[in-house]
Amino acid sequence: MRTVKPLLKGMFIPGMLFLGACCCEKDVVVAPEPPPPSVELGDIFFDYDKSELRAEATQQLQKNFDWMKQNPAGTLVIEGHCDERGTNEYNMALGERRANAAKDYMVNIGADAARMQTVSYGEERPFALGHDEASWAQNRRAHFVGQGGVAPAAAPAK
Amino acid sequence: MVTAALMLLWCFFLSPFTAHAEEKGEYIAIRKQGAGKIALVLDRSSAKRGKESEWAQELDKIVRGGLEFSNLFSMLPPPSNVRSGANLNFGALSSVGAEVYTGGSVSKKGGMVNLDMEVYDTFGNKLLMKKSYSGKENQLRSMGHAFCADLIELLTGKKSYFGSKIVFVSSKTGSKEIYQCDFDGEGVQQLTNFRSISLTPVLSPDGRYLAYTSYSSGRPTLFIRTMEGNKIVSVSKNGVSVDPSWRNGSEVATTLSFEGDQEIYLVRSDGAIARRLTNSKGIDVSPSFSPDGSKMAFVSSRNGLPQIFIQDVQSGQTRRLTFSGRYNTQPSWSPSGDKIAYTTWEKSGEINIFVINADGSGLKRLTGGARENESPSWSPDGSMIVFTSNRQGGKKLYVMSSNGENQRRLLQMDGDQMQPSWSLFR
Repeated sequence: MRTVKPLLKGMFIPGMLFLGACCCEKDVVVAPEPPPPSVELGDIFFDYDKSELRAEATQQLQKNFDWMKQNPAGTLVIEGHCDERGTNEYNMALGERRANAAKDYMVNIGADAARMQTVSYGEERPFALGHDEASWAQNRRAHFVGQGGVAPAAAPAK
Repeated sequence: MVTAALMLLWCFFLSPFTAHAEEKGEYIAIRKQGAGKIALVLDRSSAKRGKESEWAQELDKIVRGGLEFSNLFSMLPPPSNVRSGANLNFGALSSVGAEVYTGGSVSKKGGMVNLDMEVYDTFGNKLLMKKSYSGKENQLRSMGHAFCADLIELLTGKKSYFGSKIVFVSSKTGSKEIYQCDFDGEGVQQLTNFRSISLTPVLSPDGRYLAYTSYSSGRPTLFIRTMEGNKIVSVSKNGVSVDPSWRNGSEVATTLSFEGDQEIYLVRSDGAIARRLTNSKGIDVSPSFSPDGSKMAFVSSRNGLPQIFIQDVQSGQTRRLTFSGRYNTQPSWSPSGDKIAYTTWEKSGEINIFVINADGSGLKRLTGGARENESPSWSPDGSMIVFTSNRQGGKKLYVMSSNGENQRRLLQMDGDQMQPSWSLFR
């Protein structure tokens, strides 16, 4: 017994440390899988309560389609966003119509629908946080996130 | 649990109640002639010993809080000579203007807390109700509220909202999660912990299910979960799911867009799609049903800016309800079936809550001059409306009488609170 006791005591501290470490591990937040590298393409903007494309939006959509052609393995997430005015539920639907309007146009000019996904954030994820027309205009947008491709080249200087 | 305990109490004490049915009806008839609040003397409950006195004090506080929340009473302090010996001094009560007197006693019976309450009509010197409530020490709140519910039903002829819950969204933790609280803002409880965006919760009429929209899977998806056991089904269709609402007890209506356009569909509580309800180009969103489930109010952009329409569920026949205001959304059908509350985004920039009869008449504004007021939802008895307002800065929950009076904060809580939905059960 006499020899066993100090042995037990000797094991006690490292044992507790081990148990403690095990317990601690439960609290460690496991980092989620790193998302595939994503690149931001140019956004397009909308008029108040509208999901119709503006004239200048089509040029940006052509550029985003070019990116898809240059990155054949790349996929595109199109997020639809609204400004904070109006009601959240209606804006969820409006945001989707904006994302769909962008996607439909790109399909029409030849983009592969299977490589594009839409998600509406309504007014849940504003870009500009002000409460004025300048901020609202920024927030009425379709935002394009490319995945599995390289960043678009900067526009060549003229 | 609490509801179940209350149900038991109800059944247990139902019998001594029936004897006063006639007097009850008579009293309500008298009340209807006079307008305004009921002048009530709420006396302190008597108790013999220390522990019983503590319970009595706590119960008095609960009953007073419950009755004040109803906004139906003007509470008078009991006159000093309210009792002469064992008898009530009705003369003294009348002289201070009391219409109704209530008081009781608290005792311990068989390990349970026992509350004996009496209610008197002070002008007629008549006992209106005598009833006992029994519960465990940790059920004082339900016991006190059971009495409040009985008293209000006795005096107004209407069932009340004690025992009902309000579900809502809060950004308290930094992400939008779903919470519930009691009718009076007490007992806040977090129901989701997705660290995502969770929105538009609504409880089924029996309280067994919660429907909500959440981004926990990456895009807005309808979830229906049981409140006990936490079983969850989701509707995994492409596109969005927006703003669910229960139709009767068994079906949820929500906007889905898997067929391209945003249309309203009926979904069974097991997650299977029952059928499509709307068919128009543009947004159809935010369904709310008449109590019998035969008609649906909803928001549609079929004429341009959003307006509220009513559709007959069986025939599909649809008519426009709102013609005043350019931007009308968030309809909420009253539990009595005659009214619909909704929000208008006004020219001034304010968002205000209006109420309109289901036939389109009787338009009335309930909020005004206080920034943005949104997401109205009726109490189960139709006497109150809970809503969101940013009148004091951040978005917080408020309640008001259904005529717009007595607007006040429902609860104090960090972060924004929004999209409240009052349960139909109580």
